[in-house]
Amino acid sequence: MQLEIVREVTRAALQNLEAHRQRIDDLNVYPVPDGDTGTNLVLTLRSIVETLDRSTAEGSEAVAKELSRAALMGARGNSGVIFSQIVRGFVDMLARSDDVSTPRLRRAFRGASDAAYRAVKRPVEGTMLTVIREMAEEGERKENRRLSPPMLLAAVLARGEDAVARTPEMLDVLRDAGVVDAGGAGLVEITRGLALGMAGEVLPDAPVASEAPGFDAIHLELSAYRYCTVFVVEGERLDQIALESALEPLGDSLLVVGDETALKVHVHTDDPGLALSAGIAVGAIEGVEIANMHVQTSEREDRLSEAANLSPLPALTTLETGLVAVCPGLGNRRLFEQYGATRVIEGGQTMNPSAAEIVEAIEATPAAEVIVLPNNSNVISTAEQAAGLSSKPVRVVPSRSVQAGFAAVARYIPTLSPEENEAAMLEALASVATGEVTIASRDATLDGISIRKGAYLGLVNDSAVVADEDFDAVVRDVVARVLDGEREWLALLAGEDAPPLDELVAALRHEHPDVEIEPHNGGQPHYSLLVVAE
Amino acid sequence: MERGHHVLASTELGQVVVSEAAVAQIVRYSAAESYGVVALVGQGFRSRLWGAKKGVDVQRREDGLAIELRVVVERGLKLAEVATAVRARVLYELERMIGLPVAALEVHIVKVRGR
Repeated sequence: MQLEIVREVTRAALQNLEAHRQRIDDLNVYPVPDGDTGTNLVLTLRSIVETLDRSTAEGSEAVAKELSRAALMGARGNSGVIFSQIVRGFVDMLARSDDVSTPRLRRAFRGASDAAYRAVKRPVEGTMLTVIREMAEEGERKENRRLSPPMLLAAVLARGEDAVARTPEMLDVLRDAGVVDAGGAGLVEITRGLALGMAGEVLPDAPVASEAPGFDAIHLELSAYRYCTVFVVEGERLDQIALESALEPLGDSLLVVGDETALKVHVHTDDPGLALSAGIAVGAIEGVEIANMHVQTSEREDRLSEAANLSPLPALTTLETGLVAVCPGLGNRRLFEQYGATRVIEGGQTMNPSAAEIVEAIEATPAAEVIVLPNNSNVISTAEQAAGLSSKPVRVVPSRSVQAGFAAVARYIPTLSPEENEAAMLEALASVATGEVTIASRDATLDGISIRKGAYLGLVNDSAVVADEDFDAVVRDVVARVLDGEREWLALLAGEDAPPLDELVAALRHEHPDVEIEPHNGGQPHYSLLVVAE
Repeated sequence: MERGHHVLASTELGQVVVSEAAVAQIVRYSAAESYGVVALVGQGFRSRLWGAKKGVDVQRREDGLAIELRVVVERGLKLAEVATAVRARVLYELERMIGLPVAALEVHIVKVRGR
């Protein structure tokens, strides 16, 4: 356990917990219905984070001691006291080694559970205690023995969620009030933050995470990529940054840690082979672990829906409103994910997704209701069909282009109701102007504009407005038209074949000094540039 | 009315009373379920031998019940928070179950149990 890493993961845990504080406060009915469990846990964790920020501890044992003590001193309220005991049991086990292996993690959860139970004469089941105990049991399951530490955490987290969902079956006061246990729910959110922090998904200064810490929460369970890939590269004078940038385009949740002689890599990707090749290119690889996360996710969902069948209460869902988006290009996918889309389906102009793919994405979204952004006029009807086939209530917000969808997703707030989200997104769609720049595939006349094959063609709100050999001239014309002298926000999504944009963006900023201009690397095919203004 | 009993309700048909022992039992249960409390004083044979004070003492006062509670808390927990949680829980359960006014509730942490 290194101080730096511990700092990072506790901060991630705090961020995620803070995002859920209100919900957890609202749940609290046991042991005294005073609605402050979420707040108490946040204050406890915050005091731990602050102590760690000041700490200069070196070495696992010193860090563990500091953590235990910070938890003890910072404990606020009943849930904070229980949590401090969980922290103590957890770090006592982690302190015995410098790195976090699967067996170590397993023992840490066991230690946490045992410590928590040791401090109460008559444990009440259906509380935080039950949740940590079940998490420890999940960690010890034979089937989970071969998982990598991040995957073990994911399994433990899923079990924790499952246990929280079942707390009303164990404790009458919860059942009567129609809620799950607040402390347990808090513990799950802390663990989720911890898992995200360990996977490197929430970094202290990552702007998206600090704006909307809750968004990333779903990623662990529902990564856009299929395979969790972990391996170690051994060599001489290994370059961590270079390896990171080689792996960066392959997926997300990238983490490269270590030193010049050995680097440990964790990445979620659709092509583990490419990730391994990047490792082989710089050294010798070993300790390769590849797990198919989609299989695990569906297993978890089976478990959750089983629990839902047993209990008259709905299974605990993470979000009020989930969001499924269809869009082409890796950059666009990431952009939508950053804005909180729970699932992004690759597709668009020439590759329309099937209704079944959309249904699958809707079902996999951990929310009671889901909004779908089709982001293409050809996908809207498929999305509507999928909405009819889904078991959840679904609203299709008919975004006709990726860039229009981008304006809509910027309004998405997962903790608000589907009605509110839908209304905000429709308002965004109604107020935006969109444009595209593409390369003409043949000579033609369109909307009164004659176009030569190979020239750049600019469209605004689906009508051709300009054609020219000069990319910059076409973009400037399109931008001026979408801004229309009154709009203040402009997003540019560069396509996979777009020329470099830096100079052009600088020129646009000069031409439109009052407009906030956001260039993004969208990576979509066919369209060199997508433009949206609001 | 018998000594050591508290009137919960008084109607034309008679009174509903609760004994001090019953009140003490509610307190004991609530305390035992409170997180951090690993034992209540006075329940073991040996402590009786020593003539230790009871774990729960319930007195009636003009303005309501006066309760003293003696508990053992696990070491390594924040005592003030545990005591506050015990108090809150006991008061809540008394209110919920018998609804008698509580004039005083003192929580004594008489021992901290080591690991």
